Amino acid sequence: MVGILDPTGIGIDDGGFVTLTSVYDMVKTTESNETKRLLDVKPGDISALMVNVKPEYARGDVATAIETQVSGVAVVTSKELMSSSVARQLEGLRPYMLFIGGGFWAISVLMNGALFSMVVNERRRELGLLQAMGATRAYIFRLVMLEAVQLTAIGGLCGMVLGAAVIFGLKGTIEASLGIAYLWPSSGFIAIFSLGLLAMAIGTGILAALYPAIVASRLEPYQAIRTGE
Amino acid sequence: MIELKNITKTYRSGGVDINAVDNVSLTISDGEFIAVVGHSGSGKTTMVSLMGGLTRPTTGNVLVGGVDIWSLDNKQLALLRSEKIGFCFQFSSLIPTLTCLDNVRLPASFAGGQKGGVDHALSLLETVGVPDKAKAYPSELSGGQQRRVAIARALINEPGIILADEPTGDLDEYTEADIMNLFEQIHARGVTIVMVTHSRNLAARALRTLVMENGTLPEFAKTSS
Repeated sequence: MVGILDPTGIGIDDGGFVTLTSVYDMVKTTESNETKRLLDVKPGDISALMVNVKPEYARGDVATAIETQVSGVAVVTSKELMSSSVARQLEGLRPYMLFIGGGFWAISVLMNGALFSMVVNERRRELGLLQAMGATRAYIFRLVMLEAVQLTAIGGLCGMVLGAAVIFGLKGTIEASLGIAYLWPSSGFIAIFSLGLLAMAIGTGILAALYPAIVASRLEPYQAIRTGE
Repeated sequence: MIELKNITKTYRSGGVDINAVDNVSLTISDGEFIAVVGHSGSGKTTMVSLMGGLTRPTTGNVLVGGVDIWSLDNKQLALLRSEKIGFCFQFSSLIPTLTCLDNVRLPASFAGGQKGGVDHALSLLETVGVPDKAKAYPSELSGGQQRRVAIARALINEPGIILADEPTGDLDEYTEADIMNLFEQIHARGVTIVMVTHSRNLAARALRTLVMENGTLPEFAKTSS
């Protein structure tokens, strides 16, 4: 390991530099270990190469020269490498971003709560009929909560798919506008992050539906049937 | 047997207490066929709902089979509703997202499921005259067919009591007669039937008629047909 990148403040970067020779050595080591093959890099394989341009040369000229003289490569020119001051700014912004995110989450809980209350109100007659047929209060409570979990899980999944599609779709634009290579977090991180988001969506639904579910379970069947007609 | 002992049900409306049912006492023996008649707002539906444990009386006791139903906990009361009482309501009371077969089987699932077999449900649909509607959804049925399915549903747990709130409410006279025939067949099997109706003609087909007046049941209004 010859160097470690400064964290940028976005929380998902923990990269480091090793020499190419070290990489080939690591590959050789894993090839000799039959039970665990960590890397699949053949000698000569390179996915990305960072070129440090001396101040007297123009980055655009160097990029054009590389693109014209080396076939099969795409060149991304960096306007400015992320400096440590930018990283510090991002770090400073994080609490505010979390606060704003928390605010939006609280609003979504309230809105979902209002939505589930409307659903319960709309289905008063049906809930009263179920009680008349022998459904217990616990059954009615579970029914509303289960529906909330299903709806928010589907909503959460749709949101994640939509978000991923936007990020994939805008990958090129982001690269071009920021002038930096687009880095993906590890697949393990993405999986855990996605599960966390899904759990949060479901948790939001449970929290939002709690009060409407209690109200639904306490409806008097006769009143529910009459007022729902 | 259903017993109402000094039952009063009070609602608060516009800051005023209104007795929908006012100090009513009544005993209904097993196997009776009773019609409850009276003007709109006289408390007929409230009284039948009190009999079925759908609403709690403000004062008084409701006994079904000798058990004070409001001394039961919620689970026991729910079980009593599903096993001992079948309800038929004024308007379509079928769950729109379920097929007729599933609607009929639904109460059995609340009573442990033993009586909710497909064959039993299909035989009930045949009894009420809609054997071919098992896979249809309520929206695909006429009003009369929906009532028949609702009656089949009320019978799925083989309850001893059927409480029917204007079961022929908005039906034509022919369908009304069919539904009444169906109730008479059910009554012939020994089931107690309490039916709320506006129609004196329908009430005449019951064995006993109760006439509600402003939430009360005057002694002279308990007539036998």
